Amino acid sequence: MMKLYLRLFFSIFLLLPSLYGRDFEVRNFPIQDEGRIKPLDTYARNQLLAFYGKRSLKHENLSAIDWIFDLILNPEKGGEKKVFNIRNPEVTASLRLEWTNEHKYSFNEVILGLKEQLELVSEFYNKPDESRTIFEKQFLEIYFNALRFKEITYSLSCLAPFIEVNDSLLAEKLNTSPGKAVSYAHLVKQFHTLTEMFLTVMNKPEEELSQSDKELNMILLTLQHTSSDDYAQALKLIPPSPLDETGTWLSPWELMDGRPRAPYQDKILNALEKYLSGRALGDENIMNSALTDYEAGISAITIGKPDINILKKETWVNKANLFYISVAFYLSAFIFLGLSWMFHQSKYLQRISAGFLGLGLLYHTYGICLRMFIMGRPPVSTLYESVIFVGFVTVVCAVIIEYFRRDGLGLFVGALSGAIFHYIGFGYAADGDTLGMLVAVLNSNFWLATHVTTITLGYGVTVVAGFIGHLYLIQMIRNPKNNTLLKSINKNMFGITLIALFFTLFGTILGGIWADQSWGRFWGWDPKENGALLIVMWHVMMIHMRITGKVKPEGFALGLIMNIIIVMMAWFGVNLLNVGLHSYGFTSGIARNLFLFTALELITGFGTYYWAQSRKGRLVV
Amino acid sequence: MKQIIKIVSSPKIFVYTIIWLMVLVVLGTLAQRDIGLYASQQKYFSANITWLGGIIPVPGGRITMIIMLVNLTFMVLFKQNLWKIKKIGVLIMHIGALLLLIGGGLTAIFSSEGNMVIEEGAQSNRVDDYHDMELTIINTSNESLDKYTVFDQPILGKGNILSHENLNFNIEIISYLRNCEPLKRTAPAGIHYKGMLKNFMLRSLRPEKENSRNRPGITYRITNSGSSSDGIYGLFLGQSVPQTAVINNQNYEFIIRRKRTYLPFAIELLDFKKVMHTGTGIAKSYSSEVNLIENGIPRRVLIEMNEPLRHKGYTFFQSSFIEGPEGEATVLAAVKNYGRSFPYISSIIMSIGLLLHLLKNIPKLLQKNPRVAE
Repeated sequence: MMKLYLRLFFSIFLLLPSLYGRDFEVRNFPIQDEGRIKPLDTYARNQLLAFYGKRSLKHENLSAIDWIFDLILNPEKGGEKKVFNIRNPEVTASLRLEWTNEHKYSFNEVILGLKEQLELVSEFYNKPDESRTIFEKQFLEIYFNALRFKEITYSLSCLAPFIEVNDSLLAEKLNTSPGKAVSYAHLVKQFHTLTEMFLTVMNKPEEELSQSDKELNMILLTLQHTSSDDYAQALKLIPPSPLDETGTWLSPWELMDGRPRAPYQDKILNALEKYLSGRALGDENIMNSALTDYEAGISAITIGKPDINILKKETWVNKANLFYISVAFYLSAFIFLGLSWMFHQSKYLQRISAGFLGLGLLYHTYGICLRMFIMGRPPVSTLYESVIFVGFVTVVCAVIIEYFRRDGLGLFVGALSGAIFHYIGFGYAADGDTLGMLVAVLNSNFWLATHVTTITLGYGVTVVAGFIGHLYLIQMIRNPKNNTLLKSINKNMFGITLIALFFTLFGTILGGIWADQSWGRFWGWDPKENGALLIVMWHVMMIHMRITGKVKPEGFALGLIMNIIIVMMAWFGVNLLNVGLHSYGFTSGIARNLFLFTALELITGFGTYYWAQSRKGRLVV
Repeated sequence: MKQIIKIVSSPKIFVYTIIWLMVLVVLGTLAQRDIGLYASQQKYFSANITWLGGIIPVPGGRITMIIMLVNLTFMVLFKQNLWKIKKIGVLIMHIGALLLLIGGGLTAIFSSEGNMVIEEGAQSNRVDDYHDMELTIINTSNESLDKYTVFDQPILGKGNILSHENLNFNIEIISYLRNCEPLKRTAPAGIHYKGMLKNFMLRSLRPEKENSRNRPGITYRITNSGSSSDGIYGLFLGQSVPQTAVINNQNYEFIIRRKRTYLPFAIELLDFKKVMHTGTGIAKSYSSEVNLIENGIPRRVLIEMNEPLRHKGYTFFQSSFIEGPEGEATVLAAVKNYGRSFPYISSIIMSIGLLLHLLKNIPKLLQKNPRVAE
């Protein structure tokens, strides 16, 4: 039976990578953003996430990449789309927007309100960040989002076919056909052919102008108008020239100033222009040929060429939503485990549940591995990644427990904690799923790999220990007479606590060593350090209280549950304090969730504890 | 005697002290939000007595950890059934913990930290302490030879009287302000006030959360000089015009400044480099290329984030930088720490002990559900 499972897992695992070996698509266009080269797809998703709160426009069935190109090719219509998510009634009121249940507003609506209040913006902007109120922060955020939205809208306006040439004489001279729309870049390139005509037009009186002359004037006006978009440099799609040592990529507008271009820069610009004109006409053939040109342009880059396969992989990860699949499997595992309890501990249902847990873990692992591969760094470096990794650790622990016990206890812990951590992760995705770069002190792979991974392992095992504490108390309430079962869970509890102590202690000390290496002190009583220390001390205290007989097993179980609260405080709570060198994870609105969680754990922990004791007491009497 | 050992080494004491330490850690962490890291560390962790709310005296972090250390030492030395091969893991673990506490103690007592600011092309052998100040009095009467007299922070407390054979007068400290600002007087000062205090007064400010942003100040009285220079003087950190006084035909300068340590070697900054993640404002790395000059012989060293320079018990870290119109300057953090190797050793020992214990006990602790096993 086990072998069949293994074979199934491995075949799925091997199948996964073949899914992204497809053609070069517009999603894969390399773009430099936040310090690294990423596919345009990731960029578009992150932008949409910042404006809209989600990575695609679900109700219109519009993906992020399509949204960004629709916006570029049709700025008027794009400005009408309701993509600004404003959830603060104070902000909507001050922008004179109507408070609706969707909380979604269009750029055109938002910009009207903003234009009236530029003084307010500059006042908020000049305040130090920590003294800004929530309203002021959100107002500024909307302002900067609107600026960026506008910049993105016009960042390819030099390459988009926005200018129609109807006159046949002009069309011939401009190397196009009448009635066809061409781009600013094309016209600028061809313009020398019109210099003579232009000079005569200049000197002609108004009434003598021919049709061609009038159109020429119109074109000139449009060109002048378009050239004022050159501030829009959001999309850094063009690789730097081989002479540039900084490695800074350029936006198409930056190359419109007449500077010399490397051959590959020209190729990419032309392919992009071609793609835009094909897309505007809806002509698949032109688009496909443009994509081929684009790929050729990328391959021709001489210095710092991005790896197209990695780009493809990343877009695939974006699309595949591995963690969503993983969470679905965890939930299925949980449902089947529940069913197995209903049907008298059915072995088959339990095995199906185990299968789903395994599949969930597989996708979970695969997602983490791909992220490591794309970023070239250890699994945990942002708060989001730590959540995903702790979820992974808890499931692995649970699988090990299940392997030893074979009674569904591990399945319960794994399915539940795996799903819960994925949900927490989705909440943090906006802060950390964007695959961003790290600040200098974190940029040391060895210490990230050792300290951060160990300490997050410790968090994960501590959480598992807490879950087993819950289970122990529940078991005591359900069946206080079953001493053998209680004893075996009790032993598991203690064993896992020792493992948790090992990882938290070792991780904390490694953190101290890292701090000693980079800041010159082993221990600085920084909030994050104190949080980790608290977890360790709590473990040590519980173990000593147990050994000295100060607590009974149920008290020990309660202690483990309380340690989950400490883990959550150390993990998420310290970022609320905003002091110390460790506050790298930005969190907003976390305080309420943390409070709710603590209250819930306190109530269920102490509730079940006293209930279990009363059951036991009755038994003795 | 046995009874005493049994009580002192009791694990109950450990449980109580660790609970109390946890309380202190929570309080000390929460307090950082209001009073900052340094002040909270002073109040909760480095103190023997912590005054809760300023009124209730409770044991501070230092005394708590000392109790823990004594308890642990007695436990390791005198507990009979610990010295058995069966408990080898537990024993090793406790010895590791003991070393960690001892190392912490050494660091707390002997370590010092400060920073060095070096401009590109310049060299320095001076470390300015982060936290401690010194009162420096310079006798400038002899043109070719300045005579320095320096009083360190611990004796700058209120009410202390300072005297030295170099000085033909006494100094009585009237007040020491952790953070202050000079304010121009609106009304004329009393006749006791001399020097800067004639026109200014030092107003005490609430200390900043970050200790390095505080501007300490001091007011003191010069007595027994037998001249008209007796009176009340004031100084503050970073004063642009030094306080001078002529006492018995000797010229003196008074300065309050960060406590200085002079190293037996010098560091010259050749080049400071800052690399950003391309196209962003996020720094990827800072580094300083320096010459370590000892006995006139330079040695080239690159100091980077996470790659400090270690020499003669000092460790130099890339801490910060200053960008000015005349060029760049690097800020190196200089740390001297005698207990430095303890955490390394003790963590290895503790991990080995815990692993031994785990390996021995895990098979017992991870058991099959007895019902399934049947």
